[in-house]
Amino acid sequence: MGEFLSQLRDDRERLTLLVTTLIVTFVLYQMLGQRVFSVGGMQSMSIQVSEFGFLALAMGLAMLTAGIDLSVVAAAGLSGVMSATVLSGRVIPITDENQGMLLVLGIAAALITGLLTGLVNGLIIAKVSVPPILATLGTMVFFTGIGMALTSGNSVPNQVAAFPLIANTAIGPFPVPFVMLATAFVVVALILSRTRFGRQVYLFGENQVALRFTGARTERVIILTYVLIGFLVGCAAIIMVARANSMRVGFGESYLLQAILVVVLSGFNPYGGKGRVSNLAMGLVLLQLLSTSMNAFAFSPYARNLVWGLILLFVMIVNHLSGNFRKRPRRDAAGSEPDEAGRATDTPSLQPT
Amino acid sequence: MTTSPFRRLFNRPMTTVERFLVAIIVVYGTIVTLRAPQFLSLATLSDLLRGGSGIAILAIGVTIVLISGGIDVSFTAIAIVAGYSSVQLGRALEYDGLLLLTVGAIVIGALLGSINALLIHFFKLQTLIVTLATASVFHGTMALTLGMRTYTRADVPGSLIGFGEANVFTIQGEARPYGFTMFLPVVAGVVILTWFLLYRTRIGRSVFALGSNPESASRLGVNLLATQLFIYMYVGALSGLMGIIYFSRLAYINPAALVGSELAVIAIAVIGGAKLEGGEGTLLGTLLGVVIWQLFQNTLIFLGLGSQYNGLFFGSVLIFLLCVIYRRQRQINKRSLVFTT
Repeated sequence: MGEFLSQLRDDRERLTLLVTTLIVTFVLYQMLGQRVFSVGGMQSMSIQVSEFGFLALAMGLAMLTAGIDLSVVAAAGLSGVMSATVLSGRVIPITDENQGMLLVLGIAAALITGLLTGLVNGLIIAKVSVPPILATLGTMVFFTGIGMALTSGNSVPNQVAAFPLIANTAIGPFPVPFVMLATAFVVVALILSRTRFGRQVYLFGENQVALRFTGARTERVIILTYVLIGFLVGCAAIIMVARANSMRVGFGESYLLQAILVVVLSGFNPYGGKGRVSNLAMGLVLLQLLSTSMNAFAFSPYARNLVWGLILLFVMIVNHLSGNFRKRPRRDAAGSEPDEAGRATDTPSLQPT
Repeated sequence: MTTSPFRRLFNRPMTTVERFLVAIIVVYGTIVTLRAPQFLSLATLSDLLRGGSGIAILAIGVTIVLISGGIDVSFTAIAIVAGYSSVQLGRALEYDGLLLLTVGAIVIGALLGSINALLIHFFKLQTLIVTLATASVFHGTMALTLGMRTYTRADVPGSLIGFGEANVFTIQGEARPYGFTMFLPVVAGVVILTWFLLYRTRIGRSVFALGSNPESASRLGVNLLATQLFIYMYVGALSGLMGIIYFSRLAYINPAALVGSELAVIAIAVIGGAKLEGGEGTLLGTLLGVVIWQLFQNTLIFLGLGSQYNGLFFGSVLIFLLCVIYRRQRQINKRSLVFTT
């Protein structure tokens, strides 16, 4: 507890997030009461947050490496379509006996497709040096294109009766998707804080040239990061298929804006190297509370987007004013040298300040 | 020494990307023609031009932003908001004239663009995230104030319908005459104006300077605020124009349309060789990108493939070209000992 408190003092974002979340929770509790804050309400919220949470975690990982992944939703859509195709019995006809096997195959199809999409992104970014934003823009069009070509835009129904149970069962009071998400958060947090790879992810975002000079294999770090993103995307796809009991290309398109929103809101720096998974978890709780209450107040999708957009702008401006997102103080800009591409490098000046 | 016709016309050598794009168009055109000779017809050309005009205008705007080293995803929202507000204003005043409706949309578009520019300049925010946010804010504000009513043909201002159906010239075909849309001179005007601004004015050169290195640009005396304002207001103005063209072409006003297709338009500009590190990009490349997009969108049917294959083909070409462009950059970097990944 003492450690947590001292961390709070050092981490302004965490403090802001915690206070905001508590205030929002209190206000919403007063206004909505039992409608949202019942056991059932909490359960349905925790299922909703799960599929989105995986995508947000994936986006957060990309931002730690000073990248962005515009293809997360498209990749999840493709993974979901692959999984649903297996589950629809079009590949292997469904009989009474093979349902269990198909269930496993469906999960495997989503995960493998997810991993492959991540691998493609990672290879293009690391081995060809395409900037992440363009590489993932390209693969976004490409992944959606594959999904469209396979399904013609139609919804692929799941026919395996047991599959929706993934979304509908609970372990104790916690729905399975939420348990999956919580596990993923803990594992990713441990990877980032306790392993060499995790430290390299942060270092890469902070200063990739310096990381390279430490002898680290920077290309492998990037490929591994995007493969991990792909795995998370595959998990999101499994929950999507289980929840909707079908899958179509373009499902969940609004998640892209929201994923970027929650990651920035949680104090991740879009220029890389800064961001905490635990803060992201808190940001997700806050976003889900707001989202659920906008549901309860019957906001139109446009009004909702307006709110998201305003929050995003507000957070970015506040962050700027408090000096968090500045790449470096203006005075230091003189110390940097332009690299080949003509841009100032991220190398911090070596003079003592 | 002989100069190639291309060099004589454009006063520069053809870029690698442009060469690839032309090759892809020629190869694709040949394959389609061999499979379905009716592809080479006035009807196809007329359809492609009509459909591609609006996208071409948007893609040119995006190219300018990319040249400046930014990325803008709010232009589709601006196009709809500007077009819809202008039409609503016209309806409220019971005014129905093409010129003022267009001017209205352009002005509204430029104003919205200036909001982007001010946010980006004063708060030093990432352009993608700012415009992602403002797109939602613009569209959401419009939805809450003006509503989201759609207007069918009967309610669309007559001047817009007239504009959408007008032709610059018509060619008498075998079965029916083929019209070439009135949008063509508009697109040509936009291309010429943009070319002039980018290559023949001080502000245009500062867009390139900003894109290749903001720090050196500002030390050279480039006014960054003025440049950002120019870029985003110009894109906003083009988007407003596109909004009017879009409503005119369909003779149907749907305020929920178009928004969501911004990444596709950016992909078109990227396929045309506009680099995200800024400072590079050609209008010709972007126009070739529009041609490829339109070809895949409309003519895959001649190969027996539905339009659902559009994304697959376009995505493959896009990734391929990205790899070509950046692999070269990577090799140059390696040779000159520049250590980036």
